[in-house]
Amino acid sequence: MQNFYSLLRFLLFLVLLPVGSEFLHARPAVPDTLLKDASPADLKDVINSYRDKKAVLVNVWATWCVPCVEEFPEIVKLQRAYPDQLQVIFISADFTESRDRALNFLKEHKVDWTTYFKTGKDQPFIEAISKKWSGALPFSQVISKDGSVVGSWEQKADYETFEHYIKKQ
Amino acid sequence: MRVMTKKRLWYVIPIILGMSLLAFLPIKGEKASDELEIGAKIPFADLKVEEVSGQMLTLKEVAREKGLLVNFSCNTCPWVARWEDRYNPIAKLAKENKIGMIALNPNSGYRNRGESMKDMQERARKSNYQFYYALDKDSRLAQAFGATHTPHIFLFDGDLKLVYRGAIDDNASSAKNVEQPYLKNAIKALGAGVEINPKTTKSLGCTIKWPA
Repeated sequence: MQNFYSLLRFLLFLVLLPVGSEFLHARPAVPDTLLKDASPADLKDVINSYRDKKAVLVNVWATWCVPCVEEFPEIVKLQRAYPDQLQVIFISADFTESRDRALNFLKEHKVDWTTYFKTGKDQPFIEAISKKWSGALPFSQVISKDGSVVGSWEQKADYETFEHYIKKQ
Repeated sequence: MRVMTKKRLWYVIPIILGMSLLAFLPIKGEKASDELEIGAKIPFADLKVEEVSGQMLTLKEVAREKGLLVNFSCNTCPWVARWEDRYNPIAKLAKENKIGMIALNPNSGYRNRGESMKDMQERARKSNYQFYYALDKDSRLAQAFGATHTPHIFLFDGDLKLVYRGAIDDNASSAKNVEQPYLKNAIKALGAGVEINPKTTKSLGCTIKWPA
């Protein structure tokens, strides 16, 4: 009987081992709010919340936008390279019915911080992000710690371009 | 020794000046957004563009008594697909107001990715376009207009001066739920000879695929 309990304990240990290991060595858990609906006012608040703390890279993307999808992994890489200096704020401009597609895309690219989903009409959204932005996707904007814009553009960029602006602030 | 130093300066100064100027050049991936200003004259009015019928046209030839509507559009953009159900009604409204209409495809970088003349012909046939649809070779017109995305609207008056620029309306997803039909209002105002308000609006769209 004692042998049976020892065996049971050993089996339980084997079962729980990977769980414990995962718990100890896991990357930060994917937040519940991996993709959060946001109004233009919400987005302004989020961007401003990093003032005096970190530089911000705002990137507006969509799953249907080929150049957005092409540059996306580079931006994720950038966030991993500069975790203390930079906060990437991804904003999905997908159509409402493609929300799940956007969420799956974020998971596929192992994004593990809160990102945002555009709600409401285009014009107030565009103006809340940047007066200089015409509405073309993708759009990127780098804001320094003191809140000043150090770069913004409407085309796809490579890692070096993003990094250039991050280092510039 | 002093002569040598002076000689060297002749080489060094231009190099330093040249390098300083490089700092002002836009870096890869960046393109200035300089849309045509309201009141500006239409650029390249006499430039010939090839239409899906094979006909060669100029913007001046497409313009009518009251003006010209230019829509930078394409085949591969989901935003165009959403707004496309409004294209023919807008062409009809423009015609009623004696305004010519042309859609220009500026996506030179994607001519082998769904934006060729053949693809355009197919799209015009499938969607039964009731307006000209022409290829903007090397994106020259888009560059000159400062167009950035598709669809991107530029409306000119009878003197071919820009009177409205920007969005078709405020709801790409549903024609039924449009609250602000910006372009239709602008066309009606232009036809009636009254002031257009607003003159500029913004909407999301697909970035123009510039030539490599």
